[in-house]
Amino acid sequence: MTEFLQFLVPGILIGGVYALLASGLGLIFGVMRVVNFAQADFMMLAMYLSWALFAGGIGMDPFVAMPGIFAVFLLLGMAIHWLFIRFVIGRHENHDAQVILTLGLGLIFQNLILIRYSSEPRVVAPSYANTGDFIGDIFISRARLYAFLLSLLVAALLFLFLNRTGTGRAIRAASENWEAATYMGINIDRTNRIAFGVGVALTAVGGAALVTFQSITPFVGLRFVVVMFAAVVLGGLGSVSGAFVGGVLIGIIQSVSQVWTSAAVKNVWVFALFLLILYVRPNGLFGKVQRAI
Amino acid sequence: MLEISDLSAGYDGIPALRSVDFRVGSREHVAVLGPNGAGKTTLLKAISGTVVPDSGSISFDGQDLLAHAPHKRVEDGIVHVPQGRMIFASMTVADNLRLGSHRRAAQNRYDERRDLVFEIFPALAEMLNRDGGALSGGQQQMLAVARGVMACPRLLMLDEPSMGLAPRAADDIFEGVTRLMQSETTAMIVVEQRAHQALEVCDRAYVLESGEVSLEATSRELLADERLAAAYLGSEL
Repeated sequence: MTEFLQFLVPGILIGGVYALLASGLGLIFGVMRVVNFAQADFMMLAMYLSWALFAGGIGMDPFVAMPGIFAVFLLLGMAIHWLFIRFVIGRHENHDAQVILTLGLGLIFQNLILIRYSSEPRVVAPSYANTGDFIGDIFISRARLYAFLLSLLVAALLFLFLNRTGTGRAIRAASENWEAATYMGINIDRTNRIAFGVGVALTAVGGAALVTFQSITPFVGLRFVVVMFAAVVLGGLGSVSGAFVGGVLIGIIQSVSQVWTSAAVKNVWVFALFLLILYVRPNGLFGKVQRAI
Repeated sequence: MLEISDLSAGYDGIPALRSVDFRVGSREHVAVLGPNGAGKTTLLKAISGTVVPDSGSISFDGQDLLAHAPHKRVEDGIVHVPQGRMIFASMTVADNLRLGSHRRAAQNRYDERRDLVFEIFPALAEMLNRDGGALSGGQQQMLAVARGVMACPRLLMLDEPSMGLAPRAADDIFEGVTRLMQSETTAMIVVEQRAHQALEVCDRAYVLESGEVSLEATSRELLADERLAAAYLGSEL
């Protein structure tokens, strides 16, 4: 039992971060039906920004830098939407353009970072990075605990934003029915821009929460992109809370499966569950979107 | 107030409106009648901006409406209650009404407008916390009209408010629309299959057929002249 909990607790903790990463992707898909293949590379950029702030002489803690990182990526996301994404939104025939555009942006981000910082792994190691506390027999890593608590806080703020503000309500309306939202006087281009910015910023904050226990390379996104997409599909396309639950679930499975099998095959279990859930519930756990992309 | 001239529009090259002239005076209530596929919905969509016309002009209070983005036209005061209701099913009735008052001119008048909406459709007051998707068709239609009223419209456009409803539910909607017309001075366009009911609440009517205006007459003329009505509206009247 203790061994089981020893794996379950870290699984929940990392699952919270997966949830944060996936909620950004889920929000963007839910609002504008764009699958953003560059999402994990925005995460990677945020990790480099955290590292630069920490290692670059200022010594700023990643968690202290978080509000600033959120703001920077909110603006970056809105700018990317304004510059590129808005031209490929809507019509069915634009799906190819969306895939090529977002994949291309991801490749450009990866290679710009590669040119500037090389492929040498970077680490952010604040004083609490390798410490932790025992609760009973269970060891809890400080860095992962902070990352988890941050995810909960951001999730709560996201919930308040979407449900208690006029802009959040407009975003939900536009995601449910853009035509009806237009008849309410909602500027769809604006809600898309904000949703893209917020979605990118959520994933960026998730990335910044990872840096104290995950080394950073230009291609670190590849390690997380599959998890993010699996979480979004598992939770149900178009549902932000579903993406969140999907993320936590994947964290738990990756970790708990190590009780019985090697860590090398942890994603096999993720995909086994993924297929099982989609077999039983083709729209995901909380799916709203009936049609595939 | 609204002046449309020589308007043509279509979908992928298939014409839906052909050289339509249409006008609505301030405070005027205008019915748009005609069979399915005559272009009634396309006319409303061209006014609200979700269909882009091929040619022709639309002006509202002397301004060129086609130069305004669709959401901007709501700010101008043109509010479209679409066919099929399109309420936000996953959101509560209260949230749907809030979204109705998204228009800047309506944001500070939420309480006042909500009271008006409850006068028009008293049934809505009891279901504020229910999800839009959990309402019956008739209740959803009430909510759709109410959501339009929340925006303090200057021109309110109702697209087939009775569509798909049982006769009694449709009567409830028309009673509400009648109460609305008594308490508000808003100009209105009512697209309806139930021609008789529409004519009773409207001053004037256009009949559309195959995308063209085949008749323009006052409601009184149409209601009085059975032969005219039968010729243009079939046996519906």
